[in-house]
Amino acid sequence: MDPSEVEFLAEKEVVKIIPNFSLDKIYLIGGDLGPFNPGLPVDVPVWLALNLKQRQKCRIVPPEWMDVEKLEEIRELERKEDTFTPVPSPYYMELTKLLLNHASDNIPKADEIRTLVKDIWDTRIAKLRLSADSFISQQEAHAKLDNLTLMEINTTRSFLLDTLNCMYKLRSNLQPGASGGKAQDHH
Amino acid sequence: MSDTLSDDASGGDDGQEDVMTPAELIGKLEEAWLNEKFSPELLENKSEMGECVMEQLTHMEANLQRVRRGDVKASVHRMEIDRIRFVLSSYLRSRLQKIEKFFPHVLEKEKSRVEGDPSFLSPEEFAFAKEYLANTETYLKAVALKHMPPNLQTVDMLKAVPEPCLDSFVFLRVRERQENILVEPETDDQREYVVDLDVDSQHLMRYRAIAPLVSSGAVQLI
Amino acid sequence: METHSYFPVPPGVGMEENFLSLDDILLSHERLPSRTECTFPRLGFLEKSSDSRDIQEGTKMEMPLFLAKGLYERKRRVVSVELPKVYKEGWRTVFNADPTVVDLHKMGPYYYGLGSQLLHFDSPENPEIAQAVLQTFIGRFRRTMDSSQNAYNEDTSALVERLDYLERALFRAGQSGLNSFQNWERGRASTITASSLVLNYRKRKITDLQP
Repeated sequence: MDPSEVEFLAEKEVVKIIPNFSLDKIYLIGGDLGPFNPGLPVDVPVWLALNLKQRQKCRIVPPEWMDVEKLEEIRELERKEDTFTPVPSPYYMELTKLLLNHASDNIPKADEIRTLVKDIWDTRIAKLRLSADSFISQQEAHAKLDNLTLMEINTTRSFLLDTLNCMYKLRSNLQPGASGGKAQDHH
Repeated sequence: MSDTLSDDASGGDDGQEDVMTPAELIGKLEEAWLNEKFSPELLENKSEMGECVMEQLTHMEANLQRVRRGDVKASVHRMEIDRIRFVLSSYLRSRLQKIEKFFPHVLEKEKSRVEGDPSFLSPEEFAFAKEYLANTETYLKAVALKHMPPNLQTVDMLKAVPEPCLDSFVFLRVRERQENILVEPETDDQREYVVDLDVDSQHLMRYRAIAPLVSSGAVQLI
Repeated sequence: METHSYFPVPPGVGMEENFLSLDDILLSHERLPSRTECTFPRLGFLEKSSDSRDIQEGTKMEMPLFLAKGLYERKRRVVSVELPKVYKEGWRTVFNADPTVVDLHKMGPYYYGLGSQLLHFDSPENPEIAQAVLQTFIGRFRRTMDSSQNAYNEDTSALVERLDYLERALFRAGQSGLNSFQNWERGRASTITASSLVLNYRKRKITDLQP
């Protein structure tokens, strides 16, 4: 999957905006939005929030977790624990990038937030590599991966799955006849 | 046993489809999109779902025809339409890619289908697969096979094109709790064991072990 | 966005070979030390070292994998295949001690593929070969992963130099995962760039117009 497709999924997440215009309810196929009144907070999907922001029609209220103190706590916990700790949003990385790139003027301490989220990401990716390594070397058949986000999975997906596939086939060499019986003699 | 189960499931689905809201329909489309992207084999076609989505889009587009240009509401609707259309095309495209990759096996499965069972291919996909097979055969013949000795002029496509590997690992998220899913051992000194899949938990395991749960919707590939 | 309109067929890996895989076709041409177990009449011209009409029984020669596989039969001995040295016990001990020190490109470059294919020839050492090939793969995984996940925007030729073809393919998969994420993070994914094909086409058109 391309990272931009993961981002596409993240854009469905709901965020609060404060519009500077009024508009009746919009009846979208995916559900109703609005009504919009100047100064009154309203929930919209991120794709719409960013579009309205670009047209200077709203201010975006950053999600609660997009806050230096909260993220510092998360970072410390992530560094302390060996397992993946719960993330504030299944799309924390994508939302950080989207909101900071398009609405940084609405987010206090944007630069610090960017660094913190990147730190959390790096710590988690390092853990992911450690788990991948032990999964392969122990030749495990099942792993529980709670709290891992789609973007995290996605960065290592094809590498890990291709490796597991190769390993499976090399392992089936050990049982002659199992897959060897299907060997094709085309050449 | 599986027959009664699937009958129940499809009966339930039919009932649901009547009352499915457009929002739920779009949700189903996105589930199908991700499942199709990540499953090693071609999943059953959901052409009815695709048609319903198209109907929604056409209907919405027709309504928008009557709105004046520059209308804020209309622009929001257009953005939503574009997003849904993107998912639908990407979904259909990933099915076509799998058909191209596994065409002889896809056609074989279709051939051995019992009359009355639902087809894995939509009529359009079936036509595409047949044409792809014919074109590949013609091409191979023209560039290579006709220059071979007569006894070497055929290629068995079923053997030449690799089958989908159901033993591939997949990532998944659980929607409905499952008990006693069998995990087969990877090495001789391991033993098989069972795992319970709790709602919202995520796992990495072989596709083969959970393939039926993907089609029933109990797990979502991620 | 993934826009492959054509899937190259990957190698079969293990005992299987994929008919339409370029890697497997190249693998099938790897040469194996072998010995004829009967006389091959009137094929002497294939053996450049001798002038005889036939290939005599007991002639030692190198044979491509596809030919050896085609001629080999368990019941009737036509050819016997000797293990290339990298699969023999001596080298297996080296791999066992530390698989990461070996230059698998030089020793292969189809170490895993050829090792698996050798199992078609009934050698008493088959179980050990299969085990050695698997353990080597597992033993080298960490290094393949680390190098493919840490190198960004740099020349990777030194990193893959000592990798077998299968490992190189995995290295590339790891790199593309990393690169596409980094590109996304830097916002490069959102800018559409013209393909080099189009750019060259434009240039050609301009030069065509010049007298």
